[in-house]
This record gives sequence, structure tokens and C-alpha cells, in this order.
Amino acid sequence: MTNIRVLIADDQMMVRQGFTVLLNAEPGIEVVGQAVDGLDAVAKVAELAPDVVLMDIRMPQLGGIEATRRITAPPGAAVKVLVLTTFDLDEYVYEALRAGASGFLLKDASAADLAQAVRVVAAGDALLAPNITKRLITEFSRLTGTARAPLKERVGDLTERESEVLSLIAQGLSNAEIAERLVVAEQTVKSHVSRILVKLGLRDRTQAAVYAYETGLVRPSGQ
Amino acid sequence: MLRVIPVQKGETGAGARFVAALRAVPRNLRDDLWTTAHDPLSRTERPGWRDWMPAFALVLGFTAALIAIPNVNQLTAVYGLNMSYAVLLGGLQSAALVLALVRPVPAWWAVTIAMVIVTALAEPRAPDVFLPWTGPGLALQAGVLLLLALRVRPRAAVEALLISILVGLAGGLFVSRAHDYDIGAAAAILTTVVVIGAALRASRVARTELVMQEELTAEERARRTLLEERNRIARELHDVLAHHMSLISIQAQVAPHLVEDPPDELKENLAAIRENAVEALTELRRVLGVLRSEDPLSEGARHTPQPTLDRLDELVGNVRDAGQTVTARTTGEPRPLSPGVELSAFRIVQEALSNVMRHAPGTEARVELGYEPHALAIRVTNTAPAEPAPPSRTAGHGLLGMRERTTMLGGELAVGSTPDGGYEVTAILPATPRKPPANQVEDTP
Repeated sequence: MTNIRVLIADDQMMVRQGFTVLLNAEPGIEVVGQAVDGLDAVAKVAELAPDVVLMDIRMPQLGGIEATRRITAPPGAAVKVLVLTTFDLDEYVYEALRAGASGFLLKDASAADLAQAVRVVAAGDALLAPNITKRLITEFSRLTGTARAPLKERVGDLTERESEVLSLIAQGLSNAEIAERLVVAEQTVKSHVSRILVKLGLRDRTQAAVYAYETGLVRPSGQ
Repeated sequence: MLRVIPVQKGETGAGARFVAALRAVPRNLRDDLWTTAHDPLSRTERPGWRDWMPAFALVLGFTAALIAIPNVNQLTAVYGLNMSYAVLLGGLQSAALVLALVRPVPAWWAVTIAMVIVTALAEPRAPDVFLPWTGPGLALQAGVLLLLALRVRPRAAVEALLISILVGLAGGLFVSRAHDYDIGAAAAILTTVVVIGAALRASRVARTELVMQEELTAEERARRTLLEERNRIARELHDVLAHHMSLISIQAQVAPHLVEDPPDELKENLAAIRENAVEALTELRRVLGVLRSEDPLSEGARHTPQPTLDRLDELVGNVRDAGQTVTARTTGEPRPLSPGVELSAFRIVQEALSNVMRHAPGTEARVELGYEPHALAIRVTNTAPAEPAPPSRTAGHGLLGMRERTTMLGGELAVGSTPDGGYEVTAILPATPRKPPANQVEDTP
């Protein structure tokens, strides 16, 4: 298996250098570049085509959220964005998820958590920190009033089984867990997930979870 | 021994309240009328009572003296008092009117007692004279009651009115000499003046309260502004602090990777440093959560790091783009300062420039930064505006924030007009030389 190629975008040199050292020490992860602000990150992604971008939120020139939006906007963009925050500010995280980020992490996370996050996001077979992600998504989909109601019709494009899988994704289950729950092979779940993403035009399971909560497929109470 | 007192039915509910009210009457009367207290003269109205007091006293004294002459004449000629009593009582009544200006309650007692004595002593020469009120006596008592009603609570004024009428009634009933017993007219006159006095007082009280309310609101607003500004400053500084803390936690993790085979002691030590940093961060996030909930950041501020002086050019550029002529100059050897000073200096320049744009658009602004050995001097000036901007009533957030930030750092702030009609903001921030860490050249926390 080839290394996961990582780009680190942060305006602080010490953060970039620190994360580079920490991630390069992990097997299977390779830091291929560093960006000093949002604009630089967008350019470096185009140039280096990394698998995962570690993205700081507060940067000069262009903030991390907007940079995430630009990086994930092109259809078919495979790069995953992992947002880094100094503050565990819920609103940032939700904005980041809405902008297309696949996950988020505190800057003071341990090296092991950092590496784990990069791997999970790159593999795309589970939500990062499912509990926190779920809590945030539900909280904010409630706050923002679920403005995407009409999309419900498109949930209709999904088969019954696919809707079921989507709601399990939103509840934070990994592919393996979903397979166990539905008593099918994990490979089957994987193909369900990719069909769901294609049908709904979503880029990864994090976005699928956001979508499921916002369309009301999954209720915040966990129904 | 316990004695059970049965509660009577009449003492519950409205009945009990009535009895209680009756019982309170003597005490209320004593509180209201056995006193020299009255409303203080309002200080807020301008020109107020206080200023007009000598004029009132003069007019009143003149009137009282004018009334005293026919009063004494009548008391001797019509009511048969001897001259010394007439002068004493007539004088007392007139003096009471003047006294009522400063001590309305004792003055009212004086006229009332004078009335009783006059009634007791009087031997009317004719059956159709007014008694117990003599004509001038009634006029003086009305005057005193008016002044009383203007200066005491309505309840006290009504009590005084009722006592006056009751005393008159009693005098009329118990004086057996022939007289014109017209208490109705007297009562009507006294009631009218008390109503007028009480109404005037009520409107004055309402006005005073309104003024006080406005003062309170303004005070409250000023306090709020100050607290908001402090909150903003606290948030920014905690923000900077959190960034540094997370850097410490990252560096503590990175350090063992920088040497080959780091000793366990070193690893443990670094792990402890990291743990402490993470704990401190957790606390900081709580504080920031509180500070943020008070004052949400603007969209722009939320996505950019806290500024330092490195971004001064950017700031000046933005101001210039907004149409403001501005030049910037730095003297001395620029050096990295402590994050608090850098942030505060940036904010002071930012506030000063935004004040220029707000209050003196179209002028030329100058920003000067002076790196001195132990301080950073900031000077933001603008030339005289074509037409003077309206002076703002209160110090806005801008000046307040600059002052708070300077004070916090132990610096000095001076603001004011320049001789040529422009405006100047000068801040001196103490700044000890700080050695920059080797690899922290482009840091923007």
C-alpha cells in the first residue's frame, strides 16, 4: 500500500514543522508539502495532489474554511481535508464540515490521534470522532433550521437498503460495523456507500452524515 | 402559660386591613407632620428652584408684610384683640408664610396654632365676621398649604389639609360668639390650593425621575461599553495565549523526534510539559467559551489570526484602499515584541485610523511607530478637516479600547487636538527587548 500523502497548511512555521516531524515518523504517512496560508494551500493541492490536507482555520490572506471550500469544490476532487483548530469551537467545525471538510482535530491532539485521524480520513470508511461529529451535526442542523428540506426527493433516489446504510453512516458506524448490523459483507457495504455518494453527489461519508441530518433522514434524537 | 387569642372574623381580609390602616394613622401623622423634613430642592433642573429661591423669598416676604398690616388692623378693630396680641399673631401668620419656603411643615403648624389662638381670643364686634378664619388669616394659611403641598408627599399634604379643616370646624363649633360660620368656602379654598400644589409636585417629581432615569441609562451604557471593550481585549489576549499553549503542546511532542534515542527522562519530562499545556488549554477553552458567548467575533476576525505589527502594512493598505490618505513611518530598529504588545499596538493603530476615517474623512493621516530601547511609541495624527466634525458626546469604543489596552500594559495614552486643528493619538507601550526564538521568524499567532 502506498503512503498517504499529506499537505500541511498553517501560518505558523512551528506548527507545520512540528506536524511534519510527527507525521513523517508514522509508517504509511508522508508529508509532501507545506502551505503558509489558504491561497498557498489551494495552489499546493493543485500542484502536489495530496491525499489529505491538514488545514488550519485562522490564516491570513485566505482562511482555512474558504480554502477548504475551494479545494473540495471541483467535482471529482479526491483530496480530503482534515481541519485543525486551536479552539474546539463548534461553529468552526460545522462551518468546516459544510465547506467540505472530512473531519477536524484539535492542534494539541496527540501524535497517535493525529496519525489515526489522517488514516481514517484517507480511507474514508468511518466518520472521524463519530460522537463529536454527530453531536455537532445534529446541534447545528437544528440551529440552522434544516434549510435543505427539498432535497428529500433525492433521498428517494436511494433504494431502501441505501437509505438504511446512510442513516447508519450518520450514526457514526464504520463500514465494518454496518456490515455486522445488516449481516452483509463489508465489501457490499462499501459498494452501497459509494453508490450513495454518487447518487447524492457527495464527496465522502462525513458529507453524507451532514446530509442525512440536514434532510431529516436521521433525527437528532437518534431515531 | 400560653394564651390563645382567637382571631376575630372582622380582622381578616379587608376588615383587618382597615383596622391596620386606622392603627397606622397616628404613626403616619407623626411621621408626616411632626417633622421638618421635605423634598430636597432638585439639582437637576436648570434654572431650578434653588436659583430662584431668593426671588421667591423676596416676593413672599413683601406679600406677607403687605397682608400683615390689614391683618393686624382687622384683628384689633374687628376681632377685638389688644394691639400686642394682634401684632404677635398677625406677625406670626405672616412670618409663617415666609418660613414655609424653607420649612413648610413647621410653618403650617404655626399658622394653624395662630388660628386657634385668634379664635380663642376673638371677641367679634359684629355678627357677620369670618371666624375661625379671618380673611387675611385664610389667605396666609392657603399660601402656606400651597407651599407645603409643593414640598411634601401628597399624603402629608392631605393630612395637613384635613387637620386644618377639622381645627377650623372645631373652632367654629366651640366658639359660642356670634360669627359668620362659613367653613365650606374656606375648606374649598384650602382644598383647591392643596390639589394645585400636589399636582405641581407630582409633575416635578415625574420630571426629576425621568432625568434620573436618563442619567442612569447613560451611566449603564458607559459601563456596558467599558465591559464590552474589556471583554474584547480579554478574548484577544486569551486567544493569543491559547495559540502559544498549543504550540507548546506540539513542540513537546516533536522534541523527542529531534534527537536519536532520546533518554526516558527527557521523554517523560516532555510528556509532562505536554500534559500541562493540554490541561491549560482545556481551561483556556472554557474561558474563551465564556468570553466568546458575550461578544461573537465578526466573520473576518474568526477566520484570521490575531494580528501583530507584521500586518501593519496590510492595515495601512486597506485604509488607503478605503480612500483615506495615510502614510506610515517606522523609526528605530524594529524587533519582535511580546504578543500582547504587538496585538495592542496593532489595535491602537487600527482604532486610531478608523477614528480618522469616521470623524475626519478626507484628511491626511500619519502613522508613526518608534521602536525605543524600552518602549514602543505609537503616534497617529491627522490634519485639520475641511469642516469640523461634530464632537461626539461620549468616548466611543475606540478611545476607550485604546485607553484600556494602554493601561493594561502599563503604558501611557494621550489624545487631543493638535495646534493646527488636527487630531493626535499617542501611546507609549513599555516593551522590553525580546529575543526571538530561532525558528519563529514568520510567526503570526
